[in-house]
Amino acid sequence: MIKFENVSKKYPNGFLGLKNVNLSIEQGEFVAIIGLSGAGKSTLIRTINRMHDITDGKLTVDDTDVMSLSGKDLRKFRRKIGMIFQSFNLITRTTVIKNVMTAFVPELPWFRATFGIFTKDEKIKAMECLDKVGILDKAFVRADQLSGGQQQRVALARTLAQNPQIILADEPVAALDPVTARQVMDDFQRINKDMNISILINIHHVDLALKYATRVIGIRAGEIVYDGLASEVTQEVLNDIYQGKLEEE
Amino acid sequence: MSLYDKIFKPVTYTLPNGKSVIKKRSRGPVIAIALLAMAILSVKITGFDMALLVKRIDQFFVILGEMFPPDLTYMSKVWQPLFDTIKMSLLGSVIGSVVAIPFAMLASTNIIPNKAVVAVVRLFLSIVRTLPTLVSALIATYIFGLGTLAGTTAIAIFSFAYIAKITYEEIETVDMGPFEAMEAMGATKVRAFITSVIPQVMPTYLSQCLFNFEGNVRYAAILGYVGAGGIGLIFNEKIAWREYPSVGMIIVALFVTVFVIESISRAARKRLV
Repeated sequence: MIKFENVSKKYPNGFLGLKNVNLSIEQGEFVAIIGLSGAGKSTLIRTINRMHDITDGKLTVDDTDVMSLSGKDLRKFRRKIGMIFQSFNLITRTTVIKNVMTAFVPELPWFRATFGIFTKDEKIKAMECLDKVGILDKAFVRADQLSGGQQQRVALARTLAQNPQIILADEPVAALDPVTARQVMDDFQRINKDMNISILINIHHVDLALKYATRVIGIRAGEIVYDGLASEVTQEVLNDIYQGKLEEE
Repeated sequence: MSLYDKIFKPVTYTLPNGKSVIKKRSRGPVIAIALLAMAILSVKITGFDMALLVKRIDQFFVILGEMFPPDLTYMSKVWQPLFDTIKMSLLGSVIGSVVAIPFAMLASTNIIPNKAVVAVVRLFLSIVRTLPTLVSALIATYIFGLGTLAGTTAIAIFSFAYIAKITYEEIETVDMGPFEAMEAMGATKVRAFITSVIPQVMPTYLSQCLFNFEGNVRYAAILGYVGAGGIGLIFNEKIAWREYPSVGMIIVALFVTVFVIESISRAARKRLV
């Protein structure tokens, strides 16, 4: 369970990224976070695995106070949280399977990590993850040979390989065409249902957010302005989240 | 608006519909004039004399003429120092290039957020780079005595400073996405660096190592002047004794060696990038 209690985040330049956020997300939820660019969606998601620090309030994940962690404990904590990025963040010069196996690197003995030596078990495990997202046949292809949608699936397989309880996805489909975006969202939904992994996703496509997520969080200028079921999101709610700018498009 | 723009007015392009775009005047002419002025100044300071150069240039061909034909029988005595030179440059290049990696990491602003650490490492690299190879070779001969070990050390020091500099500049241009992904998965900075940054800089790094090795074969040839072993030793000796045909043989041997190594290295580098 992820719990935000009066969480605020002030950037060093004085900008308030998050204002007094209160949230509680149960294990296995599929949450979409919507809002304008710069509203604080990324900040919100990145505080959970402490890629960003919070400056006020309390953030707990499974009763662990995130801000109390540092060094080894923080790295161990991050092992159970997967992260997906808009730009995939793969190592494009190497093969797909090696990208997936980077998920094991934090736990390997140092010489195996340094020289990228993996056991057969690890290879099989990586291939299973690739199979779960339907691109097993690309295992030995260089990552930069793949299309955007396929690269995002490799990233998803890499995240699955670390066996996470939570997946944070920061604009995972923003760089993809509508058809591919839907396929990747299908993958997220399947992973959420089959493996009971909590999924928090930042997304600009309101239609996809409403279709796939069970819960929607609307954020505006660092404040949560909507938190409820996806099925109960109305046009007025969207206008409120997007400050009436949605209709102008 | 800066002073320059006030003197040289910017050009305004106006479209038929009345909108306009302003283009500032190029700074190029000012830089060109500055460069020319500095060139003239350096001619004055160094006392460069074109007339003397033209008058005495024939002496160059006199010495060159005496070197040919090279003394082929002397070749049997060239092999050993020649291999010493190659060994010195190869070993020195490898040691320097490997040691350079952690320092390159510590000197990269995108990997190390601590500005003090970056500044100290960069200052250290600058100091090492400023030290001429000949001087470090001379110092090394005081420590290790005359011979190839001193030469190897000097070349390793130079390679280290050169490769570290080139590599940290390359590291600063990599895509930081994969590094961020590794950190988010719970990897330490070092592991994230090894897994995500090294594969990105590897082709350029290897290419630079080869390029550096090429250069070092030529450097190693003169290290013998300070007694640091290799072909420079006999080179110095033969010039001093005015045995120009032997000097000619050494130059031919060195030329062929450098040419072969450069060809191999160029072919290898083409495949890398």
